[in-house]
Amino acid sequence: MALPSWWLIGWRNLGRNPKRTFITALGLAAGYFAVIFMVGFADGLKVEMIENGTGLMTGQIQIHSPRYRPDRSLYETIGGRAGADFEAVIRTAVRDPAVVGAAPRVYGAGLLSSGQSTRGGMLMGIDLDREPGVSRLMNSLSQGRAPAPAANELMIGTEMARRLELQVGNEVILVAPAADGSMGNDIFQVCGLYRTGMADLDGAFALVPIRSLQRLLALDPGRIHEIALSTADPWLAPEAGRRLVAGLAPLGVELEVLDWTRLRPEMLEYALLMDSWYSIVVLIVFAFALFGVANTMLMSTFERRREFSVMLALGARPHQILLTVVSEATALGWISLALGVAVTFPLIAWWHHYPIDLSWIYGDLTMLGALIRPVLRIEYNLPVSLWTGLALLVTAVTAGLYPAARAAWLPPADTLSGL
Amino acid sequence: MTFAEYHRRSRRILHTLGLPLLAMTLTSAGLTAGDRHSPREIIDRVDRVLRGASSRGVATMRVITRHWERSLTMEVWSLGTDYSLVRVLSPAKEAGTGTLKASRDIWNYLPKVDRTIKIPASMMMGSWMGSHFTNDDLVKESRLVEDYEIETTFEGTRENVTVWEFTLNPKPEAAVVWGKIDYRVRQRDFMPLQARYFDEESELVRTLTFSDFRRMGDRLVPTHMDMQPQDKPGERTSVSYAELQFDLKIDKSFFSLRTLRRGR
Repeated sequence: MALPSWWLIGWRNLGRNPKRTFITALGLAAGYFAVIFMVGFADGLKVEMIENGTGLMTGQIQIHSPRYRPDRSLYETIGGRAGADFEAVIRTAVRDPAVVGAAPRVYGAGLLSSGQSTRGGMLMGIDLDREPGVSRLMNSLSQGRAPAPAANELMIGTEMARRLELQVGNEVILVAPAADGSMGNDIFQVCGLYRTGMADLDGAFALVPIRSLQRLLALDPGRIHEIALSTADPWLAPEAGRRLVAGLAPLGVELEVLDWTRLRPEMLEYALLMDSWYSIVVLIVFAFALFGVANTMLMSTFERRREFSVMLALGARPHQILLTVVSEATALGWISLALGVAVTFPLIAWWHHYPIDLSWIYGDLTMLGALIRPVLRIEYNLPVSLWTGLALLVTAVTAGLYPAARAAWLPPADTLSGL
Repeated sequence: MTFAEYHRRSRRILHTLGLPLLAMTLTSAGLTAGDRHSPREIIDRVDRVLRGASSRGVATMRVITRHWERSLTMEVWSLGTDYSLVRVLSPAKEAGTGTLKASRDIWNYLPKVDRTIKIPASMMMGSWMGSHFTNDDLVKESRLVEDYEIETTFEGTRENVTVWEFTLNPKPEAAVVWGKIDYRVRQRDFMPLQARYFDEESELVRTLTFSDFRRMGDRLVPTHMDMQPQDKPGERTSVSYAELQFDLKIDKSFFSLRTLRRGR
């Protein structure tokens, strides 16, 4: 029954100077809060980036001809020159439990001309009914309306409209090298403007009904470049992609199925970098805390050196003294953790549900080609919370070791004689 | 797909819109094979065979790529190095499509939509209708002897023809796109046989071959040109002249947007 008594002594010692104990615990709790908050914020940024980076345009999974990327040649349509029954591919793909939407796309590059002003741009042919199920491009409409299916109408970004001095209702001439070698050209009407906040997109992309773009590019209706898929959660995409490779094989069409982690590896790398950065945050925060706690413990054991000397003179073994002080440190750790959790989680939960508006500090910003809204978005991260709790306890115990050792190997006679 | 990819791709594809180098075989200066000529003199003469005073001609351009093959017949006018006008005669689908070059500006006329489009400066590095000729050759007013240091690298017989070979290195201040040009010129009549264009890393980019030297409009000219890009094996653009006339009475006012729209 020796152990409980040392624990008891350690615990009681915390009550010797409650104010000091509280401040020390508060220091550790603040460290805990700092880590959880920073990780939550970094997680929020990461999730925001991945959701917007994939949801705005890319989609979580894309299907192409294996020869389409990276050159993105006009000729490399799904199924080759003859085209393929891409509707069958879509039907098969949406049967996957993780896939929630699918849309065909055609791409071309060309010139957009508004009389005097002419600029190069990307022409993106979209299925107006199905595209909203995959990307938020169509939701970014800021003026006018979406094009009518198969009409010679298009949506351009506000930045492109500004550069070409175009307004809703104006006509624009599209010129693009077509698949038969000719120079496809036709008049289109600007029916709407979109604004995503990403200058790259708003200044470069024209959204055209898929059939109209196929006509301009001399592509048959069965020839498309891409099928974009969306999944319920971005992190379901890699697994769903692997299932699709197997699921689509019986169709006999040569396909390349890529999820966003392979389409946008920089985003995955950023996510992984963030994850490894978390442990560094934990390390730095608790390294500071370590010295703070060790200092306090040194003070409190120094105060009690006579008491320890008496215990030693009465026959206590040094390891028992050691245990007393370490128990004290451990108890302090638990108090700190309880305090930290009590303060941190309500705040995190609050901020998670009501993100703080930071638009007074910064406007929309883009990171790795993804839009970041100006809000303080905080995400829960359970593993990091657990690991940080453990790190807090380890810190408290580690901080107690040196003072404990100092106390355990005091020379009792010298100390008691006041030397 | 990333935006960087889109941009890379759009830049490349957009470069296929532009103008060919059609006017370059037009007109020649009177050439006499002399005793001794400096490399500079010879290249100057070759350059003048390829550029020059006013002319009109009909040419057929045949473009062969991995994906399609097509042939365009066109009528070409030129005045000096500053002005040229090209109009497609056939096939019917593209008949009437025209291109006007005046100084450094290029316009395209699209009969289907009845509009002229000025090609933006950023698209000048392209070719026309997917051919392997680039705009730079046409828009640039500079002349070889002004922009390049010329040295003779070979003098003798190649494929049973007595030739000179010259290497043209750009002068430090010259704003040119090529790192080096190798020219092969026939000694007998100063006709160019081959030009090889290298980039700044001295990698061969394209080879232009001249053949079918015939008298047209009272001048000896290469009536067939063949351009082969090095990075696309099997692809080529060739231009053959069916007619050529020189020193016509046309002036600057002919090279207008009105002429471009109207036909002639």
